[in-house]
Amino acid sequence: MKWMDEFRKLLRRVRDEVPYLSPPGGLSCQETVELLFEWLDEELEPELDERVATHLESCARCYPLLTFERAFREAVARATGNEKAPDELKERIMESLETEGFRSS
Amino acid sequence: MADRASRDQSFREEALPEMDAVYRFALRLAREPDQAEDLTQETFLRAYRNWEKYTPGTRARSWLFTICRNLFIRREERSRRHQEIVQEASEEDPRQISREATIFMSVRNRDPEGEFWSQVVDAEVLRAIEGLPAEFREAVVLSDLEDLSYQEVAEVVGAPVGTVKSRLFRGRRMLQKALHDYAVETGIISPTSPRGAAR
Repeated sequence: MKWMDEFRKLLRRVRDEVPYLSPPGGLSCQETVELLFEWLDEELEPELDERVATHLESCARCYPLLTFERAFREAVARATGNEKAPDELKERIMESLETEGFRSS
Repeated sequence: MADRASRDQSFREEALPEMDAVYRFALRLAREPDQAEDLTQETFLRAYRNWEKYTPGTRARSWLFTICRNLFIRREERSRRHQEIVQEASEEDPRQISREATIFMSVRNRDPEGEFWSQVVDAEVLRAIEGLPAEFREAVVLSDLEDLSYQEVAEVVGAPVGTVKSRLFRGRRMLQKALHDYAVETGIISPTSPRGAAR
């Protein structure tokens, strides 16, 4: 509906122009939650990256989520970080490469 | 032959150090150690035979992952299991995966800092990753386990960056749900209290 769009636009303008009404970083909590993974992955454009950081620093609702997501990622990274290819497999690969003419040294 | 020697040298320097990473990736794709070993070996053989197609210094890891993934898909197609994998992935209704951090919302009164994540045993994390539908599994593995950028993941899986982002988002949320359910089942974390649920 057109009047709804106009109303939203007006709200956005008020939010942007009256500093004490705008959320930290100019992002709502919902927007920040949606961008959090990209922020943690360091995949956001510098300007947006900065805005998410600003929001997280000063938002009491979103900051705990950051701690929570970090703990999750650490658990995932820890679970898989130490897996290595078996030595016999490495030897087998080297042997098969050598039969292709590869020189290992 | 000087050419041959420098070719072998660059293969030694760029490809061989990725053996563990390729094996881990193969293991997550195939979910069986024997098959993962075969895939890893075949990947390195193909990579060596086609080494001149690799542009030196462009991150051999993603190039090797691409070869490994293609080999895996071809094998799966041959054994017709690919069909199941495609179905498995598309059965997931995107609307069921909320954009909200639902697990966080449900545990924030009990464990706001997510301490329960660190008590979930590694084997269970791996099992949960292996339980993800294929397209989400590979995105999570490549990004979270092997540290590829979104662009690199997109190149390996042959999908646009936007698709990778959305698969990662949903894949991680699915993984969180699976691990949270496990943590509740095993008593690492208490189930949502009726009071908490009413809030």
